[in-house]
Amino acid sequence: MTTTVFLQLVTNGIAQGAMYGLIAVGYTMVYGIIQLINFAHGEFFMFGGFGALAVYLWIPPVQHLPLLAALPIMLVGGMIASVVIAVLAERFAYRPLRNAPRLAPLITAIGVSILLQQLVFLWYPQPGGGKVQVGVNAPVQFPTFAGKPFHLGGVLIQRANLLTVIVAFLCMAYLAYFVAKTRTGRAMQATAQDPDTARLMGINTDKVIVVAFVLGAAFAAVASITYGLRFGQVSYDMGFSAGLKAFTAAVLGGIGNIYGAMVGGLVLGIAEQVTTGVLANYHATQQWGTAWQDVWAFLLLIIVLLVRPQGLLGERVADRA
Amino acid sequence: MADKVPEWGSASQPRQPDTLSAQPQRNAAVSPALAKALIGLGALATIASTFLAWTWTTSFPGDLSVTGYPGGNQVITLVVGVLLLVALGTAYGLPGLRWLAPRGHVRLLRGLALAGAVSTWYILLAVAIELNGIANWVTGSWVALTATALPVAGAFLLADDRHEAARPPAALPRWAQTVIILAAIISAMFIADYGITTSFTEEFIGFALAVGLAAWGLNSSGVLARLTELNARNRVATSAAAFAAALLFVFLQTSDQYNTIADDILIFATVALGLNIVVGLAGLLDLGYVAFLGVGAYSAALVSGAASSRFAHTALPFWAQILIGVGVSIIAGVIIGAPTLRLRGDYLAIVTLGFGEIFRIVVNNLNGVSGPSLTNGPEGVYGVPDLSLFGYDFGKPHVLFGVTFGKFGNYYLLLLVAMAIVVFIYARVNESRLGRAWVAIREDETAAEAMGIHGYRFKLLAFALGASLAGFAGTINAHLLNTVTPDQYMFSASSPPNSAFLLAAVVLGGMGTISGPLLGASLLYLVPAKFEFFQNKQLLLFGLALILMMRFRPEGLVPNKRRQLEFHEEEVAEAEAHAVAEADASEAEAVA
Repeated sequence: MTTTVFLQLVTNGIAQGAMYGLIAVGYTMVYGIIQLINFAHGEFFMFGGFGALAVYLWIPPVQHLPLLAALPIMLVGGMIASVVIAVLAERFAYRPLRNAPRLAPLITAIGVSILLQQLVFLWYPQPGGGKVQVGVNAPVQFPTFAGKPFHLGGVLIQRANLLTVIVAFLCMAYLAYFVAKTRTGRAMQATAQDPDTARLMGINTDKVIVVAFVLGAAFAAVASITYGLRFGQVSYDMGFSAGLKAFTAAVLGGIGNIYGAMVGGLVLGIAEQVTTGVLANYHATQQWGTAWQDVWAFLLLIIVLLVRPQGLLGERVADRA
Repeated sequence: MADKVPEWGSASQPRQPDTLSAQPQRNAAVSPALAKALIGLGALATIASTFLAWTWTTSFPGDLSVTGYPGGNQVITLVVGVLLLVALGTAYGLPGLRWLAPRGHVRLLRGLALAGAVSTWYILLAVAIELNGIANWVTGSWVALTATALPVAGAFLLADDRHEAARPPAALPRWAQTVIILAAIISAMFIADYGITTSFTEEFIGFALAVGLAAWGLNSSGVLARLTELNARNRVATSAAAFAAALLFVFLQTSDQYNTIADDILIFATVALGLNIVVGLAGLLDLGYVAFLGVGAYSAALVSGAASSRFAHTALPFWAQILIGVGVSIIAGVIIGAPTLRLRGDYLAIVTLGFGEIFRIVVNNLNGVSGPSLTNGPEGVYGVPDLSLFGYDFGKPHVLFGVTFGKFGNYYLLLLVAMAIVVFIYARVNESRLGRAWVAIREDETAAEAMGIHGYRFKLLAFALGASLAGFAGTINAHLLNTVTPDQYMFSASSPPNSAFLLAAVVLGGMGTISGPLLGASLLYLVPAKFEFFQNKQLLLFGLALILMMRFRPEGLVPNKRRQLEFHEEEVAEAEAHAVAEADASEAEAVA
């Protein structure tokens, strides 16, 4: 295995990991504030991709723009789709159960996840040959960059990968600013530390929770578009495994810690790519490669939970009840 | 204090049931005698109408065109009519029947009247719509329409008399209790049998409407609560009766056709009950439970002597397969549980979800190409031989007591035994020190540990026990289906068993109870299987049902007392405060 191949794997891993990180931020923010694993977050992610695709498919002028110019418009569509769904889910499914026993909202979240997936599966409208085609039961094509990848040394950098990393960096920079400097961001920190005291201090915790959902969903929409650009397709069930990976990333980085989410995402992405790449590179271990990628990611989660359950950056939240 | 006692008595007198039953006379617009007569007349007419033809052609499924005896859905209407007459007996205060309506008979009448009317009208409407027009109705249809409407009118003209349950009568003699339990369970079995053997969608909808509304009536009249209490007092008799009734089911079948459905329900319910130990008792959310079923099934299939197995020449006896299946499941459970159970419950949820997914990927990949050869990849292990125990070949038809048992009938018997084992384990564990420890951990782990319960050890035990029960069911499942493929064990799929449906069966039925998951599993299997138009919307409705269930009735259909309190803490506290206030007021009144 040459250094170039190894660097190539790391580069791909960084792009993949940045995407995981963007999704993981949503998990970690919601978890940090209301201690809920939002199983439906993977579906918010999926909705983002389909929202963006809808803008592309249904507004013909967008299709004729260069992709880089069309992307911001698509991003708006994706964000609207995923944020609206997130707010609705929070308002009508999760909020009524705020004081219920822990198991109840978790089960609700599973219900929301299945419901959202099936909504797209059954009724997502696409124009097809003058008719509207309803429902998606197979992956749908997503626009991709036409240009050639960049060369850096011997390493190929796909345009979509480069964009993913840039966008993830911008998002994290904004999030850092938001949490540390704005009033709402500090209210969010206060609510995460102690919701009761925060309420006593005049913070509208309900609003803070909605903001956490909105931000998480918006980031998921961004991630979803990068997913579409990188793989050239979106599918109604992509939220399940992406959500699982992103949650792993959130745990890896220390759940409740927003920077941890991104770090965990990057570590997971690189580890995943490098492991499978290295294994596939040698004849003896070849068969343990690509097909086993998810298994290695899962093993990593188990090992982290055994060795460092608070995550790489995380505070110890395991005992917080 | 002593001189106040008579006043106390007089103050609480108006609450006694006999005086309450006089109350409706004041409020009712129509005299109760007339309303009751209306119900009685309607019930008799309803019964009569089922002996008439409801349409003239046989093109509507179920053949409603026969004059002389009831057919198709007319049977449902007939049964409801008879029940209505019985319920009317409670309204007239017939001795012995008052036991049926401890919380007031009007709701019972309303429920049954609605059950008869809605179910009958639905069928008549279906006739009119599917055969294009009311022209397809005959005299009998109009008679049925009117006859079933009368009791509804009568029952809703009676003023509501719902009140606190009357003091249960002096304990019945033992034999009478047993007879009642047996009768109740046998009737439940007949209802289930009818539901399973319905052969077309309209029939099942009519059936479901009737059962649902009648159950509502029975529940609000308090008779179900009374039966539950009776069952709780005679556990052994109840279990024996339930087992006997389940056994009776298979003897009633004339062909193997519906035994397959019954087998699937039994497997599904058995696994759901196993999950209930993990989720309901210990409060550990396991989202990959079906993987343990898969582990058991694969382990058994590999050593069953199936030609496509890696170990085709190893044909171990069934008991050895069970040991291997259970053993491997426990190992898998401990591997998954050991690192995660030390942490907060949420981690377990996600790790088990991951495990369920990983299991599928692993067995897909162990095909000799993208991994070592073990499970034959996506094709799975097929040709798993049918079981043969003590010379009884489960794959061949047998004649027992004059009834022919096909393959699925044979497996039904075996599955019944398996379920009895799981129910037994569940019941014993639930009442033991172990079960109480689990409940304590579920309620508050920190407090439980302060009381000297080793949280981690007990949680791991619950997890391993759950895994082993699923593995056990899996070993039988492999033989029943003759094939084991990765796709059978998914997180969510459109047919049970899968992890999401298993969890839903537990939640829908009622966590921490035995009958809850059984009921939940039967409903979740039957309803989608019987509604053809559900086919692709099944998962959607299922997701919606989960959300609504958690929102409006998180304790499930068969609530566990303790859980109900937990979920409705505020309401209960409010009701208690109200009761205290009321007691204070009446005390003040009494003092004055």
